[in-house]
Amino acid sequence: MIDELDPLIGYLAIAAVTVVTALIGFLAVRLSRTTSDFYVASRTVRPWWNASAIGGEYLSAASVLGVAGLILLQGAEGLWFPIGYAAGYLMLLLFVAAPLRRSGAYTVPDFTAVRLQSRTVRRLTSVLVIVIGWFYIVPQLQGASLTVEIATGLPPWAGAVAVAVIVGVIVAAGGMRSITYVQAFQFWLKLTAVAIPAIAMLLVVSGRDLDSAAAEAFPAALGPVTVDPLATTSLMVALLLGTLGLPHVLVRFTTNPDGDAARRTTLIVVVLLAVFYLFPVTIGMLGRVHASDLAEPGLADGLTLVLPGRLVGGLLGDVLTALVIAGAFGAFLSTSSGLVVSLAGVISQELAGGTVRGFRIAALGSTLVPLVVVLLIEPLGLAGSVGLVFAFTASTLSPVLVLGIWWRGLTARGAIWGMTTGALTCAAAVAIGLAMRPEAGASLDEWSAALTQPALYTVPLAVLVTVAVSRWGGGRRPSGIDRMLARLHVPEARLDDDIDGRRSVG
Amino acid sequence: MIEPPPADDPGTTAPSRPERVRVTAPLSGEPLRAVSRVSQAADAESVIVNGLIRSQLRLAVICAIGFSAALVAIALVAALPALDDLLVAGVPVSWLVLAFGAYPPLVAIAAIAVLAARRTEVQFRVLSQRTDLDGPRA
Repeated sequence: MIDELDPLIGYLAIAAVTVVTALIGFLAVRLSRTTSDFYVASRTVRPWWNASAIGGEYLSAASVLGVAGLILLQGAEGLWFPIGYAAGYLMLLLFVAAPLRRSGAYTVPDFTAVRLQSRTVRRLTSVLVIVIGWFYIVPQLQGASLTVEIATGLPPWAGAVAVAVIVGVIVAAGGMRSITYVQAFQFWLKLTAVAIPAIAMLLVVSGRDLDSAAAEAFPAALGPVTVDPLATTSLMVALLLGTLGLPHVLVRFTTNPDGDAARRTTLIVVVLLAVFYLFPVTIGMLGRVHASDLAEPGLADGLTLVLPGRLVGGLLGDVLTALVIAGAFGAFLSTSSGLVVSLAGVISQELAGGTVRGFRIAALGSTLVPLVVVLLIEPLGLAGSVGLVFAFTASTLSPVLVLGIWWRGLTARGAIWGMTTGALTCAAAVAIGLAMRPEAGASLDEWSAALTQPALYTVPLAVLVTVAVSRWGGGRRPSGIDRMLARLHVPEARLDDDIDGRRSVG
Repeated sequence: MIEPPPADDPGTTAPSRPERVRVTAPLSGEPLRAVSRVSQAADAESVIVNGLIRSQLRLAVICAIGFSAALVAIALVAALPALDDLLVAGVPVSWLVLAFGAYPPLVAIAAIAVLAARRTEVQFRVLSQRTDLDGPRA
């Protein structure tokens, strides 16, 4: 049985984070007037702001609650998740950041359309972005259900509905300019919300005898040696490459002033994430020592919310609990709103010609669909279900993005075949793998493990098909390909001083 | 025989850039020379751009391989049985290596990649300005 918390703390924390989020959002609305403001904040966001906002957007329920829960549940295997979540940004920095910024594309479908000059590719990419976005919002709303249930004792659906309503209203009212500031605030909130409780708990346990519990808390049977190399490699492929194609992450890169700034922003994101993940990992390992009773599917994701109250206790414990609840709730708000912004951008450009009114309607629509899904299906673990979305993205959008940026031989037909192959094989593998599970939450046997972590074979397959069809499929390379690639890679002509006042080079 | 613009700067020239040799011997006369200078500048520019793309790709691939190697190394070190029995603050060192070991190389490689990519772009700017001086743009 999971701990009962004082509902008053829960209500206060959730109300506070909602009010502050809305306040920052609506204050910034005054600045947000034109259509271009709505979509990409007019490209005037500075690297630190932008990096904080990307971090705020990216750190979802899976990071704030799921990582610690997974370490408690699965041991050393869970330690690979935060490594992959952070290192995805290294791949983004290396292969995508600067060229994507220079492409001038607002969204992933925009990029593929410009690069491949094909409406069909654009439509297919749009459909994939929308599917990915919806499936990414689902675990956020599930995390919200769990948090609100633990924090206030309300039924699970209440949290999902609350987050969906708040996000829909904020996005429809403010667009992305306000979201940038909201997201930047959310990053620092989330960092505080895991860092301070983690440090406080370390101080509390530091006086105790730690070594006697080690054998029980960190058994060799769950240790680093026992991690399955194939499954881990597959997970890392999914997490490292999946980040490249996440629609809500990519849209942020257009707000950098130039390609070099896009790279600097990404570097800051890597640093911010590396610092952030120290704390969920610490909480997970503290949980192994002090909360082994929570090591069950369905309970483990609540570890971060419950542990401060157990270890610290008293008034300070209540304050820390409130902080964690606020941070977790903030995570669901920020990731969901980031996703809704990018989904609404794609949907409204596709169907409504990119008008502000179309954006607003699309924003409300993009929150409703995942909400319905959440109310109908039974949740998987948070970190695990986000991992599946990464595998799907890595198998569909990422190969086309990377090949489009670096290989002049890519054709529209190759991209279509590659994305379709990746989407079908990845979805089929996961669906069969999940269906083969003996019961919900039971541990997986070898076969279903390979099926539910499919990136290791679906990504190479998608790349292979894309390259083969581009080369021998009879499609034409888009005209002006040399000029296009030059535009992606040639550094922008600089004014004497760039946005930070740094002297330009060259 | 027209000599190509001098590119004798081994520090800034990508090794993949081929030595350009003209084998035609144009007759004297203004129009013909003007045409050849234009196409020469365009050729030089596309060679430089291709060199830029290749060196940025090489950089990205090297950094990606480097980080993968670091991950493999961390996984192997964490799998050393001796580290299971060694405790720091009540946690086996093998767990600590896996928990915290990947982030320093991650940040280091990301920083190196940003600096190296910027350097490549500086070299590109120097090269392309030099070709601008030698002839009009196509």
